[in-house]
Amino acid sequence: MNGKVGIGFRRDFADEFLSGNIIQPAFVELAPENWMNIGGYWKKQLNKLAERYAITCHGLSLSIGSPDELDFNFLKDIKDFLKEYNVKIYSEHLSYSKCNNAHLYDLLPIPFRDDAIKHIVDRIKTVQDFIERRIAIENVSYYTPVAAEMDEATFIRTIVEEADCDLLLDVNNVFVNAHNHTYNAEAFIENMPLNKVAYIHMAGHKKVSDDLIIDTHGEAIIDPVYDLFESTLAQMNPVPVLLERDFNIPQPIELQEEIVQLQKICDKQWTKDHAIKI
Amino acid sequence: MLLKSETYRHQEALAQYCRDGISVNIPGTKAERLPTYRRLVFNVVKDTIESAFPITYEHLKDDHWDEIIYRFFSNHNCQTPQIWKLPYEFMQFYLNTETVRLATHPYLDDLLLFEWLEIELYMMEDISYPNYKLKGDWVKDIIAINPEYRLIKLEYPVHISPPSRLIDQKGVYFLLMFREKESGRIQFNNLSALFAFIIETLSEHPKPMEEIYADIIHLFGVNDIQLLHNKVTDFLNHYLDKGFILGFRKH
Repeated sequence: MNGKVGIGFRRDFADEFLSGNIIQPAFVELAPENWMNIGGYWKKQLNKLAERYAITCHGLSLSIGSPDELDFNFLKDIKDFLKEYNVKIYSEHLSYSKCNNAHLYDLLPIPFRDDAIKHIVDRIKTVQDFIERRIAIENVSYYTPVAAEMDEATFIRTIVEEADCDLLLDVNNVFVNAHNHTYNAEAFIENMPLNKVAYIHMAGHKKVSDDLIIDTHGEAIIDPVYDLFESTLAQMNPVPVLLERDFNIPQPIELQEEIVQLQKICDKQWTKDHAIKI
Repeated sequence: MLLKSETYRHQEALAQYCRDGISVNIPGTKAERLPTYRRLVFNVVKDTIESAFPITYEHLKDDHWDEIIYRFFSNHNCQTPQIWKLPYEFMQFYLNTETVRLATHPYLDDLLLFEWLEIELYMMEDISYPNYKLKGDWVKDIIAINPEYRLIKLEYPVHISPPSRLIDQKGVYFLLMFREKESGRIQFNNLSALFAFIIETLSEHPKPMEEIYADIIHLFGVNDIQLLHNKVTDFLNHYLDKGFILGFRKH
């Protein structure tokens, strides 16, 4: 899958995926929470999907940054699911979505602090030991820092290096955060441990005011994000690239055009006699 | 824990704000951005519940709905990491929270259960079918039924009538819901007490219909045996055609 472009699997266009007439990804990504412990129609569709495509998983509920204890029953289900579908990459968000024994079902920003780093590093190691594989941790979009004592790049880099996990680099999130928190996106990317990147996400966003962009996954990717993507690829080795589109789903041909556009950039940067860049 | 109590408190404060929307002062935040989180988090939960209970939502949306959702999310600790299961927790919260229940809408218990069971049946893990054969004797053989079903007793006919007409229809109703084997679609069937009894017996204490007939005659006080036999045979054939009755158990 390295150097190839996949897309997030959604039930909205499941039939199109399974026919493969228009949307032709190299692999598909799904949220295991939406697909494990199910049966019936969607289990059958999932099995068909797995016959046709390689699968990656992007989790929603691990809540790696949570103050709460890890949920090992949940992790067992995740582990079984990854094994059942021969999942190539399992990634999660560097955020928290559970607190005080209550799930919140969205991604809250973790305080960029030393104690949070130690806490999360310990949890990532525990998770990796339990599921017996590496996980890739994603830089998330955030709309306000919370009691930060360091910058975001230092926070992410330290966690990835100390936990010895992989990084899912979401280029759109870097763009969104750079705008919302007025920093330089290219400089941020250069500060990331690019040798640890195992996976890239690309998506669209929505600018709701002059100083605020929301990471909606509901719009087409805009040119400045493509530009940031291309400059990022030039600094690193090939990894799988995923197009995320969760809302405001367009016609299949439009999604395929985005896949093609991303693949062209990958090919341009990665398929020449590739020298190891890092 | 490696996390300091101060960091914990900041995380806790943001999470609680997302749940109840009550203003909070968290150091090092952009206060004007916090409502974005409240809105994003709350809308995910609200949309999930509204999608799961479309009939209930449509019925209550102008009066009580927002208040119930608000109280659910601010008071209930959502336990499932799989959000498609959250509507079950919402239903349980409503059923078990006296201060939320609407005395003016006594049929809501049945309506919520009805709407949740459709999701549960549609999504639940596959259940192994019994070994069965297609040919057999309706009276002497043990009938095999589709194990992916729910049979519920209702006080209000939520599966037949719109909510606005339910209040005057209190009674005893039986609803059979089952998942079609191939398509995974859910079928809804209104049943009489007699046929509900037959299905429950075939599921819980499988035995030949000739033995169940004896139970029916005793319990329901049936006098016309031939009429009973004819009606039950029609019922069995009908549900064989619909895919709920599979055939006959192999010994």
